[in-house]
Amino acid sequence: MIGTITIVGAAGFVGRRLVESLVLDDRTDVRAVVRAHRSLAGLARLGPAVSVWLADAEDRASLVPALQGSSVVVNLTNGPPAGIMPSTRSILEACVAADVPRLIHISSAVVYDEVLSPTLDDDSPPLTQHWMPYAKAKASAEIWLREQLAVVPCQIAVLRPGFVWGVRSPHTMSVINSLLEKRAYLIRDGQGVFNSIYIDNLVACIRTCIDHPDDVRGFYNVADREFVTWRDFYSALAEPLGYDMSQMPSVSGDRFPWSVRAALEYVQLLPVMNDLYYWLRGRLPDRVKSRMKKLLLGRYEYGREVTSYVTQPTVDREVWHLQKVVHKLPTTKFAGKFGFTPPLTFEEGIRRTVHWLAFLGSVPSPTTVLTQHE
Amino acid sequence: MAQKLYRKPLQKLEQQGVLQVTALVDRHASHAGSLHTFFPHAVVYEDLRRALEGGQSDLSLILSPTQLHAEQSVLALRYNNHVLCEKPMAVSVAQCDEVISAANEMGRVLAVGMIRRFFPAFAHLRELVVSGELGEIHSFSYREGKVFDWDVKTLAGFTRHPEGGSGLFFDIGPHALDYLIWLFGVPEVISYADDALVGGVEGNVVMELTSPVSPGSVQLSWDSPLRNELRVIGSAGEAVLRIDESDRLALSKSAGFKEVAIDHAYPADLHQPARQRMSPRLYTESLYCQLIQVARAIQLGEPPAVSGEEAKECVRVIESARRRARPIDMPWLDCDEQEAYQALHWTKA
Repeated sequence: MIGTITIVGAAGFVGRRLVESLVLDDRTDVRAVVRAHRSLAGLARLGPAVSVWLADAEDRASLVPALQGSSVVVNLTNGPPAGIMPSTRSILEACVAADVPRLIHISSAVVYDEVLSPTLDDDSPPLTQHWMPYAKAKASAEIWLREQLAVVPCQIAVLRPGFVWGVRSPHTMSVINSLLEKRAYLIRDGQGVFNSIYIDNLVACIRTCIDHPDDVRGFYNVADREFVTWRDFYSALAEPLGYDMSQMPSVSGDRFPWSVRAALEYVQLLPVMNDLYYWLRGRLPDRVKSRMKKLLLGRYEYGREVTSYVTQPTVDREVWHLQKVVHKLPTTKFAGKFGFTPPLTFEEGIRRTVHWLAFLGSVPSPTTVLTQHE
Repeated sequence: MAQKLYRKPLQKLEQQGVLQVTALVDRHASHAGSLHTFFPHAVVYEDLRRALEGGQSDLSLILSPTQLHAEQSVLALRYNNHVLCEKPMAVSVAQCDEVISAANEMGRVLAVGMIRRFFPAFAHLRELVVSGELGEIHSFSYREGKVFDWDVKTLAGFTRHPEGGSGLFFDIGPHALDYLIWLFGVPEVISYADDALVGGVEGNVVMELTSPVSPGSVQLSWDSPLRNELRVIGSAGEAVLRIDESDRLALSKSAGFKEVAIDHAYPADLHQPARQRMSPRLYTESLYCQLIQVARAIQLGEPPAVSGEEAKECVRVIESARRRARPIDMPWLDCDEQEAYQALHWTKA
């Protein structure tokens, strides 16, 4: 497909990698749509090859001029759950108003929660009752988009990645920090399915959809090619991070082990807390806010290496569910439609991630690690 | 910046009768308008010269984008104003010299805003280094990075200017380098690498330095979370300073790190010697102390915390680094992407 590629939500980690990949491939027809000036910090290094528009993804009127003249729009917005449905709606409506022929919408495999059935496929309806507001909102957006598939002239392709991992992935950073700080854990000994996709494989999926000459409309699961468990994933990162996997605690998957922190995090997810947060923020003295922030951040590990392993870990509810995934979602529909094989292996993704960790200084001895993986 | 950080300290200083805000200058009057609510007696101008011609002010705070610092500072000094200019003072050593000359000719105070000099833990670490409590310094490593979230109102910092002044290095770099200069003296740049393509501004920087005291490294990022800390390793101990906190410093002398009780305090009035002192815990409190120090420099003849000459050294290091620039290695990219990135790096332009 020839023409301008517009990425809404280009400042997130997937958006930045997609834009970088396009620019390094000599595409000069890339437009980044972001909400605020500050979002450009992560894109500014790419220079004038990327044209930038400021627009609110929930505001159709501000989006239409930003999307005008695009041959394809990629929706990579990633705000709070309450904004997912409004932005999905306004982006599609703006695409239609601006005569954009193709919209690629990034959903999430979390709409199938723990993938309990082996028969779930790309067109299975998402779960509408989910404890996680993000998953519920993603499911609602999918349901609405499916209703629009046959109605709007714009081709809608919905990609459904699982855990997007690798370089600059915030989720990967959480895993890495838990290993570095020796507070990592596995649910059911890590035997759950790591339903995941390496960032560059996801970018390759998106670019395949962008460039495909025929109609792309449909819903597609996208994932790495290998069958990987959570134990495999943690083990691959453990060695370079100096984590002894024999020390890894295993948590039962039968009943969620509530803790004060988990309860606090759950309460934070409630919509009313958002309003309360802003109400309090405007009223509490700055010194009180500063002290509360420090308390919430917890203890800082000053040593270069943590030596003692946590045996009774504090379990994150989202991680608990993610690690209990039973089946790998099929990706045969995407592979068949686009003739696509993910270009990177799991092993190569790990190698690249470790290189990046060395750059960040998270790996204690970069030279050793690079040697091991080359 | 004025709205977010300077408003509260300036309001407090107005209430205390230390100063009065007489003019607010912004190319877009509407931007200054929101601040005007808090300083109703101030006149709003869209042009600095017109504001200075009004003749009401004795001190100008230059808080504009970096590219304008030198020009506006010189103008304010020529109108007989003392100047507190935000970091960095200018984009080149030549510009720094112009500003310093103007200050000298006019006999005005020229202070440069390096807020971290007013973070108690930062000052405390300097005392440890200078007093020799850490022994002979063997090395230091400075890391500061997170996904950029500063609520900026313009694209000035993200747009490449041929003369410099934008990007990560001119944003966080002066903070890091000024502090390291304060701790260890002016360093020599051994290497510098960044990730900006032609026409872009860097989002990541890595440097190796040799200071008069020890070798060390600096890493800065606008797009990746780093351990925001300065680690100083000496023959008698190791210190870790939290860059993102004004009052967290830990010391290890034998077994394990212990946080140090921080009580470093700064003058908080215009008496000589100061009757009140403050140990700031908030950014706005540090700014308050910095403004008080400028007022003391004007009124009591004390030296400003960071003079023009000192701030020039920071710009000199930046210039030196940029002359050595090369692309950061990115082995996590595809091979063909790495080649394209190397070819498109701004140093190849």
